Amino acid sequence: MKKTTLFKACTLAAAMAAASSSHAGSLTIASPQDPGSWDPIDTFLVNWASVATNIFDGLTYRGPDLELVPGLATNWEELDDGNRIRFILREGVVFHNGEPFNAEAVKFTFDRLLGEEGARGPQRSNYTSISRVDVIDDYTVDFFLNQPDPVLLTKLAGYGAMIVPPGYIEEHGDDYFNTHPVGTGPFQVVEYTPRSDVKLEAFADHWSGAPKLDSVTYRFISEPSTAVAELQSGRVDIVLPPTIPIGMIDSINNHPDTEVVSVASPTVEALRFNTQSGITADERVRQAIIMAVDRQAIVDSILAGEGNVIASFQGEQSFGFDPELEPYPFDPQRAQELLAEAGVEPGTSLQIDIRGNDATFAEVAQVVAAYLQGVGLNASIQPYETNVLLNDIIPAGRTGAMFQQKWGGWTFDFDNTAYLMYHTDERWNPYDSDTTLDEMLESQRSITDRGERETLLQSVARYTKERALEMPLYSLNALYGVSSRVENFEPAPDSRIRLTDVDVTE
Amino acid sequence: MSSNSRSFRFSNLQRFKSLEFILGAVLVGSIGLAVLLSGFLFPDGGGGVNLAMRLTAPLTDGSFPLGTDPLGRDVLARVIIGGEISLKVGFYSALGAVALGIVMGLLSGYYGGIIDMVVMRFADVQLALPFILLAITFIAVIGGGLTNMIILLIISQWVQYARLVRGSVLSLKDREFILSAQAIGVRDWRILFQHLLPNLLGPVIVLMTLNVANNILLESSLTFLGLGVDPVIPSWGGMLAEGRTYLQTAWWVSVFPGVAILLTVLGLNLLGDWLRDTLDPTGRTSR
Amino acid sequence: MAKFLFYRLLQALFVLVAVTLIVSFAIRLTGDPAVMLAQGAGSITEADLARIREALGLDQPFLVQYLEFLKGLCTGDLGRSFMGGTPVGELIGRALPATLSLAFASLFVSIALSIPLGVTAAVSRGRWPDQVIRIVSLVGLSFPNFWLAIMLVLLLSITFNLLPPSGMEGWQSFIMPAATMGIILTATNVRLVRTTMLDTLRSQYIMVARAKGLSNSVVLYKHALRNCSIPLITYFGLQFGGLLGGIVVVERVFNWPGLGTLAFDAVAARDYPVLQGVITVLSLLIISINLLVDVAYGFVDPRVRKS
Repeated sequence: MKKTTLFKACTLAAAMAAASSSHAGSLTIASPQDPGSWDPIDTFLVNWASVATNIFDGLTYRGPDLELVPGLATNWEELDDGNRIRFILREGVVFHNGEPFNAEAVKFTFDRLLGEEGARGPQRSNYTSISRVDVIDDYTVDFFLNQPDPVLLTKLAGYGAMIVPPGYIEEHGDDYFNTHPVGTGPFQVVEYTPRSDVKLEAFADHWSGAPKLDSVTYRFISEPSTAVAELQSGRVDIVLPPTIPIGMIDSINNHPDTEVVSVASPTVEALRFNTQSGITADERVRQAIIMAVDRQAIVDSILAGEGNVIASFQGEQSFGFDPELEPYPFDPQRAQELLAEAGVEPGTSLQIDIRGNDATFAEVAQVVAAYLQGVGLNASIQPYETNVLLNDIIPAGRTGAMFQQKWGGWTFDFDNTAYLMYHTDERWNPYDSDTTLDEMLESQRSITDRGERETLLQSVARYTKERALEMPLYSLNALYGVSSRVENFEPAPDSRIRLTDVDVTE
Repeated sequence: MSSNSRSFRFSNLQRFKSLEFILGAVLVGSIGLAVLLSGFLFPDGGGGVNLAMRLTAPLTDGSFPLGTDPLGRDVLARVIIGGEISLKVGFYSALGAVALGIVMGLLSGYYGGIIDMVVMRFADVQLALPFILLAITFIAVIGGGLTNMIILLIISQWVQYARLVRGSVLSLKDREFILSAQAIGVRDWRILFQHLLPNLLGPVIVLMTLNVANNILLESSLTFLGLGVDPVIPSWGGMLAEGRTYLQTAWWVSVFPGVAILLTVLGLNLLGDWLRDTLDPTGRTSR
Repeated sequence: MAKFLFYRLLQALFVLVAVTLIVSFAIRLTGDPAVMLAQGAGSITEADLARIREALGLDQPFLVQYLEFLKGLCTGDLGRSFMGGTPVGELIGRALPATLSLAFASLFVSIALSIPLGVTAAVSRGRWPDQVIRIVSLVGLSFPNFWLAIMLVLLLSITFNLLPPSGMEGWQSFIMPAATMGIILTATNVRLVRTTMLDTLRSQYIMVARAKGLSNSVVLYKHALRNCSIPLITYFGLQFGGLLGGIVVVERVFNWPGLGTLAFDAVAARDYPVLQGVITVLSLLIISINLLVDVAYGFVDPRVRKS
C-alpha cells in the first residue's frame, strides 16, 4: 500500500515539474554565475554579458558571426586621422521605461563610464582612449579620442559601452539601477532575485521588432552536473558556457531530448614558463618541453575534439592569428636531444601550477606530466585555488617552472592578450623582459591601418613562438547544452546569445 | 582503589563474537592490508597515463578488472593506492587531535584556573565556527595538500578530546588514588600521565576510532570540492570528483572509489560502535 | 543565577567577537577581491585595481575595516556585497530561511526514521533486528554525503525523472536534500533513541505499566517514549547546530539557495562582507543554541552554575 502512495506522490511531482516549465513561448537558461549587478560599468563577467546583451544595446552590434554591424548607431565615420569618430544615431528608439534614446543618452553613458561612477568599476580602463563625447544634434555625436584606438568600435558593441537611460538613473540612483536595469534591448527585466534567477519579458517596442519569445528566465547554477541534470530533466532549455565539462558531452548527446552545440571560442590555454630561472630559463629546454607533449592527442582525447591546437596564444578568430604559423611538432626524440644539449639531467624535476577547481585542466596537466616523464623530466602538479594563483602566485613570480594560463577576451584582438602577457612589467608577465617585443607591442597600439597592424601582431606571435615563451595548448570551444524544444539557436563564440530569433516548440 | 575507576583493560574486550566486530574487523583489516601492500601489488603505481585505453569498462579488458579512468589508468590500482591518502589523513589527524586534546584536557582539568579558562574559550570559539566554511577559508590561505589537510583537521578536532578528557579529569581528581598520590609527593606530570591518563583512555579510543572514520569523509569532501591533495596523487575524494562528470557514461570511475570510502568508513564505524559498547558502556562518547 | 547568566552572556559575546575577528582576518589573507572584480575586464592596471580597492574600502587598515564591521553589526547593518552591492542583510534574509527549512526537514526525516528504528532495536536488544538496525544505520552514516546526493540525483531525477534535481521550488525539491542529510543523521539518532529507551524500559514506571497489563505498543509509544522525550529533544536541538555547519556541501550539490551556497560563492569571489555576514549569523545561531541549552541545564542542575 505504501508503495503505491509513494509512487502517486512521485508521478504527481513529475507532472507538476513538467507543468511549471511549459508556458507558451518561455525559455529557461542556466547560467553559471550571478554578476550581482546589471550596471554595465560594474561588468567583469562573461555571464553578465550573456544576459545583458538581451537587455541593452550598444552603438555597434556584434552577433555570433563576429561581424560588426550597426546597433543604436546607424552609421559612423572616422575623422581627423582616426582621432574623432562621428556616429549617426538611430531614431525612434525608446528605453524600457519609455524614455527616448538620443545623443544625450550617449553622452550621459560615456560621461558616467569615464567619470566618478565608472572609476569604481573595472570597465573604465577599456575605454580610456575616449577623451570626450560631444553632442552635435539630437541624433549625432562625436567621440574625441586621445589617440586612435583600432579596437574601439568593437569595444562599443559590448560591456561598459552599453547605452543607459539618463533620466531613469538620475531619478532612481545607481544602487537601484544595479538591480533594476533598464536598457533599449529586446527584453526587459521584470524580476531579479539575487543569487537565484532573473526573469525577462519581451520588449514589444524594440527597434528591430518584438522577439519571438514571451519571456526568458536565467537561473544561476554553478555546479556543472546540476545544470546538466536540470537540462536532462527538461527544467532548463539552454545551459550556457563555460558550464559543461567535457566529460558530460556524451551524457547530454545520449539523452533523446538534449544535445551539445559547440563553436570555437576566444578562450585559449597555455602552460607558460618561468623564463627567468631554473631549467626553463634556457630556450632549448622550453622548446624541448613543448615538443615532448602531443598536444593533438590531448585535444582528441581529453577535450573530445572540442578544441584546436594553437601555435601562439590565440585562437583562429583572433585578429593577429596567422594560419601559416605552425605549432611545434610532437617530437620526443628531438626533445631529448635538446635537453641533453642544454645539460638537463634525466630525472630533473619541475613543477606545474594549475587552478585547483578546473577538472578538465587537471586531466590535461596529468597527461602533460606523463609526456614529460617520457623525455626524462619528473613533473609534479601543484593545484592552487584560482584566486590565489591569479593574485599571488603568478603576478609575484612565485610559480613553478610552468603555470597554467587561461585567457579569453571578447574583443578577439591579439593585443588584448599579447600586450598583457609579454610586455615588460605587466601583471601577467612576471619573468620576461624583451625590448624587441616591447617595441612591437607598443607600436601596434596606435596603427589604424588594419592590414599593417595585423602583420605586426602576427610577427609578435611568431616571435613569441620562436622564443618559446609558453607552451600554447589549444583554443577551447564554447559548449552549449540545448534542449530539442529550442529553435533557431545559433551558438555565440563569446557566450553573448541574443535571443531575438530564438523560439520554442511545445 | 583504582579498580573502582574505569581503567582501560583488554580483559574487558569480551564480545569478539559480535557481528559488528567481525564485520568491522574484516572490512578494516582487508582494506588496510590491501593499501599497505599496494606497493607490492602495483609496483608501477597502477600503470601510467594511456590515452588509447581511456574509459575502458570493467571486465572488458583482462588487465583492468575495474576498468580505466579518463586518462586510461587502472581504476583498481588507483582505488587501492588512493586508500593511502585517506587512511593517512584519517589516522594522522585523529592521532594529532588526540595528542593535543589529551594534553590540553589534562592541563585544563587538573590545574583549572586561567589555563582552564583559556582552553575552554578556545574550545567555544572552535565549536561556533562551521567547519567546512572554516576549511574553505583556511585552505585558500595556507593552500591544500596532505600536511595542511591534516593540520586543519587536527585544529578543528582536538577540542572534542579536550572536553572529554577535561570532564573525566574533573570527576577523577578528587578520587582517593589521586589524592594519595599527591599526598606522597608524586610529581604532577606523573599523576597526569601515569595515574589519570590510563583511566580515561577508553572513551578517548572510542571517540578516536569514530573520528578516523569521520576524517576520511571530511578529506574526501574537501578533495571533492577541489580543496584537497594534488590531483596526480590518487585519492578517493579526488577520484570521485574526477569521475563525477563521467557518471552517466562511465559510472565505474567514481562508483568504485565511492564504495571504497563507504566500506572503510563503515568498517571503522562498526569497530568504533563495538568498542564503545565494550569500553564505554555509559555512552559518554555517544554522538 | 543572575550572575551565572551574566557570565555566560559575557562568554558568548567573547566567542562572537573572536569568531568574527578570526574570519575577517583570515579571509583578507586569501586574496584580493579587486582582482576578482577586474577579471575578464581586459587590460587592467595596478592603478585600476587601487581605484577599485578604494571604492570597496579595502585601502583602510585591517583594524579600521574590522571596527567598521563591528559598528555595522551593532546597528544590524552587515554591509554590502562586493558583487553588485546588494545589502548582505538582504542576501542572508533570503538564504537563512532556505537553510533553516532544509535543516528542519532533515531533522524531521531523521527523527521519523530513528524513533521507530531505535524503539524496535531497544525492544529486541541483542537479537537480530537490533543488530541489523544498528549496522544498516551505520551504513547510512558512512556515505560521503555529496556522493549520496549525486547518486540520488542520478537515480531519481535523471533516470526516472521524478524529482527536480536542484533548486528550492515546492515540497518535492526538499525530498532529496533532506533525505541526504537525514540518512546520515539517522545512525547517531537511532543509537540515541535506543540507549534512552533501554534506560526507560528498565525503570520501575514501565514495569508498573506492564504489570497493569497494558498492551506492548501502548507501553512503548505512549509511556516509554514520552518519558525519554526530554533528553531526546535536547539532543536534537544540539544537533541542529552541527547540521547548519555540515549543510554546505549538500546545498552545493542541490544548488540550494541557502547560507552554504552563499558562503561558498563568497569565498570564491572574495566577497568579504558576505562571508563575514554568513559566518557571523551561523555562529550566532550556534552560540545561542548552546547558550539556551546551558541556561536550561543551569536551571535544572545547580552544579552547572558553578563551573
